[in-house]
Amino acid sequence: MLLHHNIRLQVLQQYKKSMRLSWTQKCIILTYMHGIRKHANLIYELARADFKLKYYGSFTGLLWSFLKPFFMLLILYGVFFHILKVDTPYYPWFLLLGIIVWNFFADTTKESMQSISAKAHILRNVNISPIIAVLSTFLHLLWTFTITLVVFGILLGIFRVPFSGNIFLILFLLLLLVLVTLGVSLLTAPLFTRFRDFGHLWDILLQMFFWILPITYSHSLVPESYRVWYLTNPLTRIIIYLRDTILYHNTPDASALLYTALSSFVLFAIGVLFFMRQQKALIEHL
Amino acid sequence: MKKVIDAHALTKLYKIPHEKRTTLFETAVGYMRRQLSYEPFYALHNINFSIQSGEIIGLIGKNGSGKTTLLKILGGVLHPTSGSCAIQGVVAPFLSLGVGFHHELTAEENLYLYGAILGLSRKEIKEKMPEILAFAEVERFKDMKLKHFSAGMTGRLAFSLMTQTNPDILLIDEIFAVGDKDFTPKSLSLLQKYRDEGKTVIVASHSLDLIEQYADRVLLLENGTIKMFGTPKEVIAHYQSS
Repeated sequence: MLLHHNIRLQVLQQYKKSMRLSWTQKCIILTYMHGIRKHANLIYELARADFKLKYYGSFTGLLWSFLKPFFMLLILYGVFFHILKVDTPYYPWFLLLGIIVWNFFADTTKESMQSISAKAHILRNVNISPIIAVLSTFLHLLWTFTITLVVFGILLGIFRVPFSGNIFLILFLLLLLVLVTLGVSLLTAPLFTRFRDFGHLWDILLQMFFWILPITYSHSLVPESYRVWYLTNPLTRIIIYLRDTILYHNTPDASALLYTALSSFVLFAIGVLFFMRQQKALIEHL
Repeated sequence: MKKVIDAHALTKLYKIPHEKRTTLFETAVGYMRRQLSYEPFYALHNINFSIQSGEIIGLIGKNGSGKTTLLKILGGVLHPTSGSCAIQGVVAPFLSLGVGFHHELTAEENLYLYGAILGLSRKEIKEKMPEILAFAEVERFKDMKLKHFSAGMTGRLAFSLMTQTNPDILLIDEIFAVGDKDFTPKSLSLLQKYRDEGKTVIVASHSLDLIEQYADRVLLLENGTIKMFGTPKEVIAHYQSS
């Protein structure tokens, strides 16, 4: 396994020389994927340890991960429903779904920034790629997200919200959400490791994204002239279509879905390529 | 006997910036002022050596002489600035024992985690668990959190797990510091068993008498260069007289 990794690093070195995707470079990406599969056990064990440590022995750990979105919901609901008088149908559910998706995106991109320095002691001593650290953090947050989604589904059932979305479409949109989040995490992680003040910048950007994305309001409130630009962000579309499918029984049309899928893949690919270019230098910055 | 490690003109140069820039702001300011000055520091300078299979190599030298850098290059964690280092076989890097241990997890949970770092699957560790715990002499404490373990117990646990991997080349940085009078000979005789199986063991240590007793050859580093590479007796005598 370790020998295999050495070969991989050598090909990566060659890769660093240019960003163009030639035939050999495509092979490198395949080799890289192969390497990650070989490390699947390590990623799983690290994620499992992180998950355990976060919720260790106490019920409060898991409880807080539900209380946080719940209080966010209460505050935003109070402001938007009672003060600004939003008349979006099923507004609490509309808001809750937005908050759950947002929390996954925000928490993951923030925690991935710390992930490399948190595992520095391992990365400095054993020949493993820093991407393992990012992927294991990602995996453990994905588990938390899955639990939250299940709870959301149960709540929909308890409150008898009419639900008849196409389960495959929902899973497809969630997959795109995972790709976008992972892509962005692969950008934030090396940037933070390299520049320690990137964390502050990312906090500001997250604040901005929170209000740009249609989390608290419906995208139909965005002026028509901005709409085209507004919908370029894949995350915006994922949130809109998830709600359409789950709460409003509308199925987005195929071209819209195709655009969302393509832009998500592009974002993911940018993240992967950026990370691969940075990763060798990262160890020396720890 | 075949050559398993062949280092040729191996050099590791660290560029130590006069002011280290770790933020976006400092980098931006630095670029504007065009002040990118570095202090060159050779951790290893033009090193040539080769090591056969079935040898125990002792690595000695003062602090900062390049022992750990050399082990890290052999382990593939660091990359040489120039020169080459050809390695035949699977290398197991145990640069510092228990590197992945987490104090809030139990001994057993830690073994799964550390095992994964060393490339062992959950199933493999489960099978070998009794053996690992027995060798480390901590069977009774397997469900105890690691923070209640003594340094010696933790070190023994890590060493014991390490023995379960099956590498061709073992790199070890200071193991004798953790063992007591019973465990140190036990681990050393295990290293001898490895040598007899044709594996190569490289141990960096400050325990000169143990190195003299167990190593086949000793490599003395001084300021990033090889001062001497030969029989333990000669090299250690030279080191002590200098």
